Amino acid sequence: MGGMLAAGLTAGGPAFGAGQDPALPQRGGRIRVAGMSSSTADTLDPAKGALSTDYARHYMFYSGLTRYRADLSAEPALAETLESDDRILWRAVLRTGVTFHDGKPLSPQDVVYSLMRHQDPATASKVRTIADQFRRVTVSGSNEVTIELTGPNADLPAILADSHFLIVQDGTADFRQAIGTGPYRCTSFQPGIATIAARNENYWVEGRPYLDGIELLGIPDEVSRVNALLSGDVHLVNAVNPRSARRIEASLGHRVLETKSGLYTNLIMRQDALPTRDPDFVLAMKFLFNRELVRRTLYRNYATIANDQPIPPGSPYYLADLPQRPYDPDRAGFHLRKAGLAGARLPVYASPAADGSVDMASMLQEFAAQAGLHLAVNRVPADGYWSTHWMKHPLGFGNTNPRPTADMLFSLFYKSDAPWNESGWRNEQFDQLLLAARGERDEARRRQMYGDMQVLVHDHCGVGIPVFISSLDGYDQRLKGLGSIPIGGLMGYSFAEHVWWEG
Amino acid sequence: MTPTVPLREESMLKPASTAASRVRHWLSGLPTSGRVGLALVVLWLVLGAAGPLLAPYDVGAFVSPEVFDSMSAQHWLGSDYLGRDVLSRLLSGAQYTVGLALASALLASATGAGLALTATVCPRWVDEVISRFMDTLISIPSKVFALVLVAAFGSSLTLLLLIAAATYTPGAFRIARALAINLNQMDYVQVAYARGEGRLYIAAAEIMPNMIHPVLADFGLRFVFIVLLLSGLSFLGLGVQPPNADLGSLVRENISGLGDGALAILAPAMAIATLTIGVNLLIDALPGRGRRITGGR
Amino acid sequence: MAHGSPRNRSGIAAAGRLILRRLGSALLTLLLVSLVVFTISALLPGDAAEETLGQSATPEAVAALRHQMGLDQPAHLRYVRWLGGMIKGDPGQSLVANMPVGQVIAGRLPNSLTLAGLTAAVAIPLALAIGILSALYRDTGLDRALNLMTLGMVAVPEFLVATIAVLVFSVTLRWLPSITVVREGIGWAEMLRGYAMPVMTLACVTVAQMARMTRAAVIDQLSRPYVEMALLKGLSPSRVVLVHVLPNAVAPIVNAMALSLSYLLGGAVIVETIFNYPGIASLMVNAVTSRDMPLLQACAMIFCVAYLLLMLAADVCAILANPRLRGQ
Repeated sequence: MGGMLAAGLTAGGPAFGAGQDPALPQRGGRIRVAGMSSSTADTLDPAKGALSTDYARHYMFYSGLTRYRADLSAEPALAETLESDDRILWRAVLRTGVTFHDGKPLSPQDVVYSLMRHQDPATASKVRTIADQFRRVTVSGSNEVTIELTGPNADLPAILADSHFLIVQDGTADFRQAIGTGPYRCTSFQPGIATIAARNENYWVEGRPYLDGIELLGIPDEVSRVNALLSGDVHLVNAVNPRSARRIEASLGHRVLETKSGLYTNLIMRQDALPTRDPDFVLAMKFLFNRELVRRTLYRNYATIANDQPIPPGSPYYLADLPQRPYDPDRAGFHLRKAGLAGARLPVYASPAADGSVDMASMLQEFAAQAGLHLAVNRVPADGYWSTHWMKHPLGFGNTNPRPTADMLFSLFYKSDAPWNESGWRNEQFDQLLLAARGERDEARRRQMYGDMQVLVHDHCGVGIPVFISSLDGYDQRLKGLGSIPIGGLMGYSFAEHVWWEG
Repeated sequence: MTPTVPLREESMLKPASTAASRVRHWLSGLPTSGRVGLALVVLWLVLGAAGPLLAPYDVGAFVSPEVFDSMSAQHWLGSDYLGRDVLSRLLSGAQYTVGLALASALLASATGAGLALTATVCPRWVDEVISRFMDTLISIPSKVFALVLVAAFGSSLTLLLLIAAATYTPGAFRIARALAINLNQMDYVQVAYARGEGRLYIAAAEIMPNMIHPVLADFGLRFVFIVLLLSGLSFLGLGVQPPNADLGSLVRENISGLGDGALAILAPAMAIATLTIGVNLLIDALPGRGRRITGGR
Repeated sequence: MAHGSPRNRSGIAAAGRLILRRLGSALLTLLLVSLVVFTISALLPGDAAEETLGQSATPEAVAALRHQMGLDQPAHLRYVRWLGGMIKGDPGQSLVANMPVGQVIAGRLPNSLTLAGLTAAVAIPLALAIGILSALYRDTGLDRALNLMTLGMVAVPEFLVATIAVLVFSVTLRWLPSITVVREGIGWAEMLRGYAMPVMTLACVTVAQMARMTRAAVIDQLSRPYVEMALLKGLSPSRVVLVHVLPNAVAPIVNAMALSLSYLLGGAVIVETIFNYPGIASLMVNAVTSRDMPLLQACAMIFCVAYLLLMLAADVCAILANPRLRGQ
């Protein structure tokens, strides 16, 4: 039974974490929401979504074949069922009676177009590397689609819940309008300024959405964003800095929602450069992370101590038995001397583009100096960081967003031939385990494999992960129904269809 | 009827007195505000030069378990957003702000004055070329200019210095040019031309000494503008490399403490304020203050 | 005015000559600016295709997008093509926003002009008042108080001024909105509330410079013999200042004002960021980070034209107000 999704949809009540109310959701009201980005690159094309505000916008206007539950497993959305026997050939039966905002009914051809367009270079899709595993997507019935993969992948349902794979109308190439099947219709969209949404009266979930309308802004400056919340100008914000959380909690009528997620900022020690490829150097750096200090001062305890491997404690495959690596300047000093690097001088690249990395670098610098290594922090602008600096220096920082499954995370960032194998490490054993886990049907053995992979990364990979950073939303208490979906803030970017207003 | 009186600097025509007597005369003639300004300027120059020696802690050391701590015997100005000693960071920051601003203001004023003299004594087309180039430089917004250059070349002290200097050179040029062209019309300069003196000699010996006063005053203003530009750049994330920080960056990095009135943000803000006000008070107290022709940026 | 019509006509003729002369050098300056922008932007790491794809840039995807954006052509060809478009009045297509540059700018420029206009409307009278008052009462307590006040205004980084204002007026008192939202059909009262703090912040930055300049220029004139003569003739001091002193002091004052006003467009980037105001300065920053060259060039052209126009306006003002400058 490689499939999923037997459970039907729960009719109305919110099924998600915090903020649940016994009262029935109310209809009506308009809210203003501020995300963290706003630029001329804002888009209505789900394939091009680059930043959290884009994702939130796309979940307002479009629906996917599946969507995330609070534990990041997938539940049915536009696909009533999505099943496979061999995890290669998947059959999706579409919900009937769903219409686009322009009144056209949803057809299998729309799904085929929406999935296959990612492989067209002209689409400039952000998830092309993932979409490349769709060997064929075909219409196999009046409301049925067949997806053939290049290899087995049990995680397809979770992958399809990602905002980039939301369903658009067949043939859409011009995204100046958003014609989707989502909970809201787009009434106005000005890139870099605002998006205005009105309730879709024909939404396919009975009784939803609750709000009459949403205005989605981007306020890139964090202090301004929080001030806009506290002054009542907006009602929901994401990406709250932990340092601002206390101010929000202290305000009558406002709350912070912490979503423990798999987001992390990591030190990259390139394995194709000296001296960072030296295993002793890698270990020394990992011992130099004062994780407690990072968690307490930098993140004001809105973070979870991590153990130099990317699977967060909330994941079903998290290996809890792995001994925690402590901050240990003596052992760090020992490994540095063993590597012959005592007294050496090295540049480390950090940028505001990788959240918290500049401060982490300053901390590393301070503790490394005590262990006899002189790090020179090179803060470079966020502008162009990913194209120019990321993975290009022996010692630098990266930042990785939560992914719904362990396989996706390992495949994208840790497999030897992965496009974003940040440290450039090559571990055959790891690669074999990863491939084997994809096709493994025995859940206990699969868990064991993921556990082994975590040990390998923890011990050998040139990536140091000090903490998992919680994502913080700030909201007006009159906003109800907000919960956590740990793929990101704003309820995994899909707050729009869940929340209501008691004004 | 409006009488036609040529614009000129009275103080320029005074004979130059000896340096020592001028300083003494100048000090005794300073009004109270000028003395306050002088005291502030000297204080910051000293702190800028000796700050790191006076700092009780290392600039990057995590010395307090509390963030945004208030005043205490161990930490006179409390702790910052990561639990570092604010006083130590302030003393180190003063060195960067004062040093950078001083160096860039010097560079900007010297380049501006030099180009202005060149434009004045050389043929008209040279003036035209320099003026167009200065117009070009001044019409590109300085912060965007800085953003582009830092993105292109990476952030370094030298680059920040050059950016600040380039931003304020056109302003210095405009003022110096206005002064120099005025002086160029003066009888004694025309006489020098008639004597057959070289252009270099006229610029250096006849014009320059008589415009040095307003140019110095303008230099003080440039200094203030550059301090403020640097703090503006810190808002955009451009500045000295961590763990060091200039005063503007100290304000910016601790901005989340503003709601609580944390010393970590008040102290560097006060430092910038006293530094800039001090320089301004001092320039205002300089002789011939009413006549200065100054321009923005 | 005291001047007869022949004088006015000669003033207009002089201004006309000036405008013609400036037109040529303005075109040259614009060309220079576009070259400088083009050169330094060529030094920037990455291009629009790489920045658009961000972390997900694979060589194949970048190549495809480059082709789509026309970035696979040599740089100088792109510049020549852009220049050709500009001559015809077409600033091209934004590489990132999927619409013509003209349209992107049209959504932002009116906002910037509104903000600059409102700030000028507040700052210029304020600066003139402060400057003239402190000149008339120079070296008195009032002069010193005004001087300290204007110095204090610029002594604090503007992002701190703006943030403190938001904390006080939006978060604590809740009198004013913390972000300035631009919308159609917004009432006057609502609009003024929204602009109050950005205008105040920008005014803080610019008033000091203009006020000090005004003070210096007025004092310069007040010490002239003709002022004493006018006062001896029994004219009231306010009349002397308004009719005689100001026209003579106008050249340096309008010059300083023009410089300050040119700052209001391009220098507003911090204010635009803090109040989330969709203006043209943050658009230019946006164009830099997304490597959207046509948009960046268009923004640079606008700032340059604005600067040149303001300088021209200042000189024309000076000529019209002061007859003795006409012969130059």
